[in-house]
Amino acid sequence: MKFHWFAQQYYTKLPADFGDTVHSSWVTPPISVADPQQVGEDYHLYLRLMQQADTLGWDSLLLNEHHQTTLAMTPSPNLIAAALAATTENAAIALCGNSLALYNPPVRVAEEIAMLDCLSGGRIIAGIVFGTPMDTAFSYGVPPIELRERFHEARDLIVRAWEAKEPFAFNGKYTQLRYVNTWPRPIQDELPVWIPGSGSPETWDVVNALDYCYGYLSFSGKQSAAPIVGGFWDYTESQNANMNPNRMAFTQIICCADSEKEAEAQYADAVKYFYRQNPTGLEFATPPGYNTLPSIRANLERARTQSAEERMKAARGELSFWEYDELGYIIAGTPERVEQRVRELATDLRIGQLITCMHVGDLPEEVARRNNELFGRDVIPKLRDVWGEEEDRWTPKVSQERVAAKFGQGAGLPAA
Amino acid sequence: MTTLEIPHVGTFDVDVWEQGSGEPLLYLHGYERHPGGAGFLTRLAADRRVLAPEQPGYGRSTGVEAFVDIHDVALFHRELVESWGIDRIDVVGHSLGGMFAAELAVLAPQLVRRLVLVDAFGLWLDDEPALDPFGPADEVAAAKWHGEPPAQEPTNFVPDPGDPHGAVLFSARNLGSATKFMWPIADRGLRRRLPLVDAPTLVVHGASDGLLPVSYAAEFTRLIPDARLAVLPEAGHYPQVEQEDAFVSVVSEFLAAGSGS
Repeated sequence: MKFHWFAQQYYTKLPADFGDTVHSSWVTPPISVADPQQVGEDYHLYLRLMQQADTLGWDSLLLNEHHQTTLAMTPSPNLIAAALAATTENAAIALCGNSLALYNPPVRVAEEIAMLDCLSGGRIIAGIVFGTPMDTAFSYGVPPIELRERFHEARDLIVRAWEAKEPFAFNGKYTQLRYVNTWPRPIQDELPVWIPGSGSPETWDVVNALDYCYGYLSFSGKQSAAPIVGGFWDYTESQNANMNPNRMAFTQIICCADSEKEAEAQYADAVKYFYRQNPTGLEFATPPGYNTLPSIRANLERARTQSAEERMKAARGELSFWEYDELGYIIAGTPERVEQRVRELATDLRIGQLITCMHVGDLPEEVARRNNELFGRDVIPKLRDVWGEEEDRWTPKVSQERVAAKFGQGAGLPAA
Repeated sequence: MTTLEIPHVGTFDVDVWEQGSGEPLLYLHGYERHPGGAGFLTRLAADRRVLAPEQPGYGRSTGVEAFVDIHDVALFHRELVESWGIDRIDVVGHSLGGMFAAELAVLAPQLVRRLVLVDAFGLWLDDEPALDPFGPADEVAAAKWHGEPPAQEPTNFVPDPGDPHGAVLFSARNLGSATKFMWPIADRGLRRRLPLVDAPTLVVHGASDGLLPVSYAAEFTRLIPDARLAVLPEAGHYPQVEQEDAFVSVVSEFLAAGSGS
């Protein structure tokens, strides 16, 4: 299996009572809480940790796009990716992803991804996302009812822009261009495409039809995600689509330490900060028109594996450290325990691409560096056998080869 | 259910509430839902033929995906009225339906005899930003009504005992369709076209509409050449519900004054 280094690029110095007093950490969080100097320091912290991960055997460094939020100060993942492309060697850079419906003309996204692929020597994973309701409907004002159509039109345009041999005209409903001739073009003949989603069957149809990698990027762990990930695989099997586990990316918070006691001592506060400091205004999370009726119905009828009380306590930071672990929100402990829990997770949910969240909330840098060392040296090599025989067309060839060359045959490439 | 086909635009199944006989009146409902056979509609139908189609994308009515922009909506209403064999009609539009009614009056001046705009969306005033009609549910509910909300807001929703999620999906579909023309701001350029409205117009507005301040009604009145304003006291976004008597009376009087013209 593959490992993708990730952190929500959280603002690390929020007031202690932020989560209790602010209406929403999305769309309308008060800018007065964020010192731009500190934001800069936070960016450098995340860059240093990703540069370290590149030397420890991660398969990619993964970035996401969010707007107007304290949770992830990455309105443009491509800007951080540019810094990484120029300062890392081995790992791929996973854009996970660009919110296509927000850019007009969307060829801007095609250009930036192509630039990054050139700059990184062909190491880009081109994740594309609808974007959360908070990002798309509120921060960028896209009418929710148009979002999916805009996304698919942009996707069609961008993929053609990467592949076309000649300039072409594009007469779409939302974008009209007389001359599409994107410069530069990507190094990779076929960029790996991931589409993370939140369990909509329409998205499953698209990723299956195009044989893309699907992603379920929640921070609620195995127990709450199982119905959606399992739902994807049941649906995929029923469609006779590709069951390769490398078509599933999943996010997991990892808290490695030399002992369980140290894990709790080092991570408990930061885990609570991560969950507690992120209240989302209900109206921002559920605008009408964002989900299709079949999706709403599927969500209403999907079995709940967690009580409403547990979910609420988790969001308020009211679970104990080991309750978060037990419910799967985090996987914590010694490398041996973490390895065993990740193996279970990846095997049970059929996950080939694990997005390891190695820094949470306001975790001190030295703890995150130690997390990287322990997981990179003592956990990743031991888990390479999981789905190791499966073909992986969803990570770049160049990074597979470089990671394998540097970290051993079992690392990047499937067993011969 | 009526099926309307507009070549090169789309096919629409339209649920039309119809009652009464006499001079025809087209009622276009607001952004939340069709009111069904609400009291004010039944009373307007006492001495005229009221036709109240459900908007595409609401309830059981289809075709919203065929709309590219607001001009398609005006075209749709023109074709719908003409499909009934009617060549002149009074039009009453409420809320989002007010925006649609005004656009119809611009596109098809020959069709619209008299126009009534009730707490209509369609304009934006920088000096008085209107509340987000898709904002927090409790804020929107409080803004909509002058007094206590009615026990049951008028609706054409028919519960299906076999579907526990019917009401949630009904509302999600209606409001999702409303976002096409109201998100992020309910302004699709109507300001530039209002001076082209020929029809004599009555602008009706609830004095305590918290979604649209009275200044929005005043702006409609200023921009439409032959318009007058009737502000109904003790009413919010639904004056036809909160002040049914006053509403029916002011609208009937306005429509009757133009009879024979």
